[in-house]
Amino acid sequence: MSEVTQVPHRNIEKSSPTLSRTAPPALEVSGISKSFSHRRRETEVLHKVSLQVEQQEFVSIVGPSGCGKSTLFHIIGGLESPDAGTVSMNGKIVTGQRGKISYMPQQPALFPWRTIEDNVLLASEITGEVGEQAREEARQWLAKVGLSGFERSYPHMLSGGMQQRAAFLRALLAPQELMLLDEPFSALDALTRSEMQRWLLELWEENRRSVLFITHNIEEALLLSNRIYVFSGRPGSILHTVDIPFPRPRREEITDSPEFIRLKRQLSQWMREEQAKRTLT
Amino acid sequence: MRSTWKQIWPPLVAVVFFLAAWQLSVSLFHIEAWILPSPTDIARESSSNAAGIGDHTIATLRLTLIGFPIGTAVGLIVALLLHLLPWAKRALYPLLILSQNVPSIALAPLLVIWFGFGLLPKIVLITLVCFFPIAVATMSGLSQSDRMMMNYMKMAGASKWQIFTKLELPSSLPSLFSGLKISATYAVMGAVVAEWIGADKGIGYYMLLQKSAYRTDRVFVAIAIIVLLSLVLFAIIALLERWLVRWKPRRNS
Repeated sequence: MSEVTQVPHRNIEKSSPTLSRTAPPALEVSGISKSFSHRRRETEVLHKVSLQVEQQEFVSIVGPSGCGKSTLFHIIGGLESPDAGTVSMNGKIVTGQRGKISYMPQQPALFPWRTIEDNVLLASEITGEVGEQAREEARQWLAKVGLSGFERSYPHMLSGGMQQRAAFLRALLAPQELMLLDEPFSALDALTRSEMQRWLLELWEENRRSVLFITHNIEEALLLSNRIYVFSGRPGSILHTVDIPFPRPRREEITDSPEFIRLKRQLSQWMREEQAKRTLT
Repeated sequence: MRSTWKQIWPPLVAVVFFLAAWQLSVSLFHIEAWILPSPTDIARESSSNAAGIGDHTIATLRLTLIGFPIGTAVGLIVALLLHLLPWAKRALYPLLILSQNVPSIALAPLLVIWFGFGLLPKIVLITLVCFFPIAVATMSGLSQSDRMMMNYMKMAGASKWQIFTKLELPSSLPSLFSGLKISATYAVMGAVVAEWIGADKGIGYYMLLQKSAYRTDRVFVAIAIIVLLSLVLFAIIALLERWLVRWKPRRNS
């Protein structure tokens, strides 16, 4: 059992506080700014954004739409270069370098010509050869997330929630330690969404990874995160940093606690203010 | 099984209806056989003279089966080269489109002057008509891969070659196959035209011969054979597509 729950390529000592204090953060973004010019008009999308994800920490970004969250992900992933600022991982500057993160996009973006098993192994395939051991591991994981029997199926045969689980597994089994999740549940219906949230919470608490998570959904962020960064509207900058106090392992019941409701109200208010500012200008 | 039957019967009924109208009008208006033979005349001719046209059919088929793969290969190579070298694509793509405004029939006499009456000018002609649809379809397929998947590949650190083999090539397959289907019918046409310009056998040669003898019924038999050859080639490619692009969801309606 414990063999199955451990992700390969890295030996994580489960939540050892001394490690996270001394080791450099898994991700440190400092002073990132980015503008795009469109028809000779400069639009600033990100303004001096600095944030951190410690080792084995789950960090969320919430903010109004168009706050440059996806651009930030593209910069961290090396797709675009910032006008100012740096991206470092584990203490090394990696600004503009690709292949350092494991990414899960908004839509599952599974490759339709690959079977589910081959899709899940894609990231490992890009960084090196995929052996029989990796395949066996992928199969065990597929069974763990309720996708056994679908190893040889093509993505279009799966429901939205199942595709999303496969896409998550593809990110989880990638050799990179840091995971970027870009609104992974936004395309799902409410019921599937809350199911997936519970599923992700449980899975993450079993296999601590460093995660940066983008979402619109405040409750989702509160339930999952150690820390939440609240972004302003365009140009995106960090308005508030909120540490979430709930102990782990968390269960869904915490959503009914007064502290949870208080935080939710506070964050909603900040978001509403931001939205109002946007509509006024 | 029932659904394929549902798809087949409307065109089948249309064809039967068309043939019946043809037959009726020929006998009603007393149209002479050397202007327009009736379907039954054509059928009678093709069954009584099957051996005579068999050799010609094989010659045309052979020419098509040599020319089409060469044309396909040239089309694929052009598409891959222009896709991997964007500056070459910018320079040559407009010229490529321009070149298609030259009718291939107009080129045929030139090819004879340059390459004589042997196999070579015929292959060149078929290649010229075949490669373009394949090159264009493949190129557009290669450049239209999904953005989200492209971002994923780049963020995962995929090399240009990995992006090409794991994303662009497989996602171009459906459009490559639509190019292939068009080219397959062009190849048969190209072979017939090539036989017009200089050959001593083949369907094209047979057509010219029968035309001078006013054997309209035999010209129709030749046309029927050309249609049949095109259809068979088309069907083979469609089957190949079904097998290679089996990951694509089929629309069931």
